[in-house]
Amino acid sequence: MSVFLECKKIKRTGFIPTFLSGGLLAAAIPVLNMAVRSENYVGLSDTPLQILLDANWQMMAMLNVLLIVAGACLMYHTEYADNAIQKMRTLPLKESQMFFGKVILLSAMFVVVLVIEATSLAFCSFHWFEVYNDFWLETGKTLGYSLLLTLPSVILSMLISSACKNMWVSLGIGVVCVFTATMVPVKNFILSIFPFAMPFQIFGGTDAERTLQFIYVALIEIVVIGIAELLFIKVRRSFE
Amino acid sequence: MSFLSLVGVELKKIKRSKIMLILLTATIILWLPSIFNADMNFGMQAEGISPENNFLIQGFLGMAWFMFPASMVVGTVLLSQTERSNNGIFKMLALPINTAKLCMAKFVVLLTLAASQILMTVGIYFISAAIVTQIQSYDFILSPLFVLKEAGLIYLFSIPMIAFFWVLSICIRTPIFSIGAGLAFIVPSVLMINTKIWFAYPMCYPFYVITSEYGKLATNLSTAQIDLIPWLPIAVVVVIICLAVSCFRFGQAERR
Repeated sequence: MSVFLECKKIKRTGFIPTFLSGGLLAAAIPVLNMAVRSENYVGLSDTPLQILLDANWQMMAMLNVLLIVAGACLMYHTEYADNAIQKMRTLPLKESQMFFGKVILLSAMFVVVLVIEATSLAFCSFHWFEVYNDFWLETGKTLGYSLLLTLPSVILSMLISSACKNMWVSLGIGVVCVFTATMVPVKNFILSIFPFAMPFQIFGGTDAERTLQFIYVALIEIVVIGIAELLFIKVRRSFE
Repeated sequence: MSFLSLVGVELKKIKRSKIMLILLTATIILWLPSIFNADMNFGMQAEGISPENNFLIQGFLGMAWFMFPASMVVGTVLLSQTERSNNGIFKMLALPINTAKLCMAKFVVLLTLAASQILMTVGIYFISAAIVTQIQSYDFILSPLFVLKEAGLIYLFSIPMIAFFWVLSICIRTPIFSIGAGLAFIVPSVLMINTKIWFAYPMCYPFYVITSEYGKLATNLSTAQIDLIPWLPIAVVVVIICLAVSCFRFGQAERR
């Protein structure tokens, strides 16, 4: 119910076209990279998908995270801009329900973006490399991993935007967080569990044990940030 | 109303916006890793750059590549949204002021924000250089004139980029489009500085100028130098077109 409501709200905000064009832009990166300098990559020994991700994922992940930050800012901006949130609070709906509705919608849009990117990666693999059996399995695993590791940043950026009434404050904090994430070395585990740094991880980039650790950390972060939002709503209500 | 007092009014409007706090946090986060990884500055023999120069340039590279442009996008959001949120822009447009003048006053405020962020970066640079000097017992502090020259170069080269973000935020009414477009334009600048047509892409100017400064300081690196001829006319034309379009479009949607 809440998710459909959120869908209706974002209909005329340009949210969906932005995500589609952002996905297309991120999808264009590997294609352009291969078109311009394919000779650097074709001879490498890894699987095609791994080569493509190593070469392009940092930029693609950065676009994804920026897209998520901007999307989260917009979703709460529409509530705060004309005091729509006061009307939402008078409805027989929990405020947390609205929050999780928004999170689910943003995650769903992110899945769409990932699918667009997967199509482009598949195209690159088929066009410049040889086809092999496990390709679809590997793609599925990689994207599932990326999705799970990106969810903490989705829910955290939503928490930030729900906390700040002014869009530039939430966008500013989001941009600072993304900037911090870009400076985190990918190999450092402790620093890499910062929610905004996790999307930069690649499945298969580390050993299996590390991958499993990242999955657990991502799940823990999602739960912790979710509880933090619930507490935040309660506390804020008692002060307003 | 004179132009200066208009700028003063615009500065007053953003007084309580907490934007300075955000800019300051960004600059502090910029220098923290440099302090922690200060010993890496001594391992740059392959590039042939001295540790103190490397410390400065690495920090400035981080700033010019993402933090500074992204902060300017946040600044454009601030300037456009403070007035739209409570329809303050209607009151401003109802005053007997030339709208182009109003638009330019806001742009000057944006340039002020840019200047203050660069000055903050320089200030924090000296603090962190002093800290690193203490830790590593090696003099990391460069002459203030040299640091200000590098910072000034970034600032001058970023004006076309700021003008472009400004026109983006005025022409695109939907906030998410202008934010998304602004942020998306930053990401490819890494690719553009390696191409021959870098001068056609205003967003990579500050990053390009600092990369070329890096090449000058590092004796073994040969990064491309700046040719004034194709770049300067293009940059001037970009600024003029952006400002003309923004002055023309400013307030048009509200006046309809």
